[in-house]
Amino acid sequence: MTYYQLISLIAFLICFLSLSYHFFRLVRLGLPKDYSRKTGNLKSAVTYSFTGAMNPLKKESAYLHLPTYTAGILYHTGTFISIVLFFLFFFDIKLSFALRLILICVLIVSGISGIGIFIKRTITKKLRLLSNPDDYISNLIVTVFQIFTLIALFQESFIPYYFICAALLFLYLPLGKLKHSLYFFAARYHLGFYYGWRRVWPVKSNKQIK
Amino acid sequence: MKNNNSQKHKAIRILSESKDNKLVTHLNSCVHCGLCAESCIYYLTTKDEKFIPARKVDLISSLYQRYCTFTGKHFPFLTGARNLNEEIIDEMVDQLFGACTLCGRCNMHCSVGVDISYVVRAGREILSEMGFVPATLQSTVNAAIQTGNNMSIPVEEFTDTLSWLEEDLRDEVNDPHASIPLNVQNTNILYTLNPREPKFFPLSISAMAKIFYAAKESWTLSTSMYDVTNYAYYTSDNNEAAVIAERLYNEMLKLKAKRCVLAECGHGSRAFRWEAPNYLRKSFPFEVITSVELLVEYISKGRIKLDKNLNKETITLHDPCNLVREGGIIEQQRYILRNAANNFIEMTPYGIDNFCCGGGGGQLSMSEYNERRMKIAEIKTEQIRKTGAAIVATPCHNCVDQLIQIDNKFKLGVKIKTLAEIVADAIVLE
Repeated sequence: MTYYQLISLIAFLICFLSLSYHFFRLVRLGLPKDYSRKTGNLKSAVTYSFTGAMNPLKKESAYLHLPTYTAGILYHTGTFISIVLFFLFFFDIKLSFALRLILICVLIVSGISGIGIFIKRTITKKLRLLSNPDDYISNLIVTVFQIFTLIALFQESFIPYYFICAALLFLYLPLGKLKHSLYFFAARYHLGFYYGWRRVWPVKSNKQIK
Repeated sequence: MKNNNSQKHKAIRILSESKDNKLVTHLNSCVHCGLCAESCIYYLTTKDEKFIPARKVDLISSLYQRYCTFTGKHFPFLTGARNLNEEIIDEMVDQLFGACTLCGRCNMHCSVGVDISYVVRAGREILSEMGFVPATLQSTVNAAIQTGNNMSIPVEEFTDTLSWLEEDLRDEVNDPHASIPLNVQNTNILYTLNPREPKFFPLSISAMAKIFYAAKESWTLSTSMYDVTNYAYYTSDNNEAAVIAERLYNEMLKLKAKRCVLAECGHGSRAFRWEAPNYLRKSFPFEVITSVELLVEYISKGRIKLDKNLNKETITLHDPCNLVREGGIIEQQRYILRNAANNFIEMTPYGIDNFCCGGGGGQLSMSEYNERRMKIAEIKTEQIRKTGAAIVATPCHNCVDQLIQIDNKFKLGVKIKTLAEIVADAIVLE
């Protein structure tokens, strides 16, 4: 194992342990307790929370902001791919040229999306007022990580810098808003539970009462 | 800061010692994308960035960051963590009390799924703990706690009103035995009222009494506890909310009614049906339903006969947020209107996507925000105007008040009615 692999591994373990702390804290706090009489179906509502309710046609945050929403989806796709590639790089698993080419294309698009989101946050008054340094750093560090992943896919000599960048990302992740990689799932669960308990979700057509 | 440090520490403990998985989750989830802005009537009507829902969440999460997280304690500038001081308290009062109707519309459209109104209520709880609830709103709670109803109506005045309503009912149904029963034990239903009904809108009580008469229902009102509202839900003082909720709970047990039927009141329905069991930390041994559900039951089981031709004018429906988006009563009111009116037309948007009328969240009680309240009503005004309806029906007395003010200010020329009034107008007595 090289020194830069070791550094990134230690950073990853710190990140993993920090997120585990957050995860187990939520587990320790327990599932929501509601004393009122349930009228809905929790299982289908929580499922709906992660599926139908995420449908861009159902969310104003998506269909009123399609360019930003699309950029966000592409950006998160790029992040997910980059995390998977980290492990492939770490274990020195080789990819075919064709696959690397496809991934490079995807990461170019996601990287541009990340930069676009950063620019939007910087120049839009509405977002600027809402943002703190963590918002910019998080956006920047993830975008740089994606770009470094992209470069590492075709330039092996870049790998040491890539692992150092990955280490920085892993160390920063538990400190700020990037924690939403964990809390997002908890938030969707709670929203599904809440609306499911009261039979608001899953949304049905206007045929509940004939 | 006018309050002492111990109050401040008690307020912070709401966050730092929270055992609430949901609150901890939502305080850690907002990514500041700002895409919730267009879901908020305050932002839509003013374009003022301070009204973006995410900024309201940020007020509370910045305190959470400061006092409950490693980063916020050691590097507060990084995540925008803030100290609890006069400056942030002023902002919180203005934005959490004065610029949020707790309509929950932003929750549904949040890209992550943050329950924004839940976080706002936690913020109100912090303010409540420190004594920063607007005096106008607090006085409504105080009236309910001190007198048993939020309008401080004396029992004699209440029974007098019911007495003449009973006489009117007898005339209308042409039956000298028709009645508005008071404090009767072992009935099927204990019916509640919004105190605005006996005070300002007695015809909605008449309407419901006529419906009960037509359905041959066994029901009663209580003279000691009939108030369906619970404004402590809006102040987020859970102790006071529990006091108010427990009175109705105890009245149900005292009168041994089988079902508690909640009058057409959005927040009251929510407060007693969904929140009260949690305030009191016990499941209720009786059924709690809204009058909307009861009307559906009567119509669908044929207990009342309706002639929709008796309601000829075009009717549109305003969905109360607490009943619909926060209470799951979505199709029932439509079923009622399709059966009781000849021409029912929807607003756009409607149902769980509806816009708040502007009167929720305690706004109608907080006169200091009147101007803002009528500004945000512009959206509802346009929704109503576009339908061309002559009548706006809504199963919520809070919304009725706001809609009447909208009608007056924006010269819509519509009538505002409750569902019970529309159903009562369509009843065919056998």
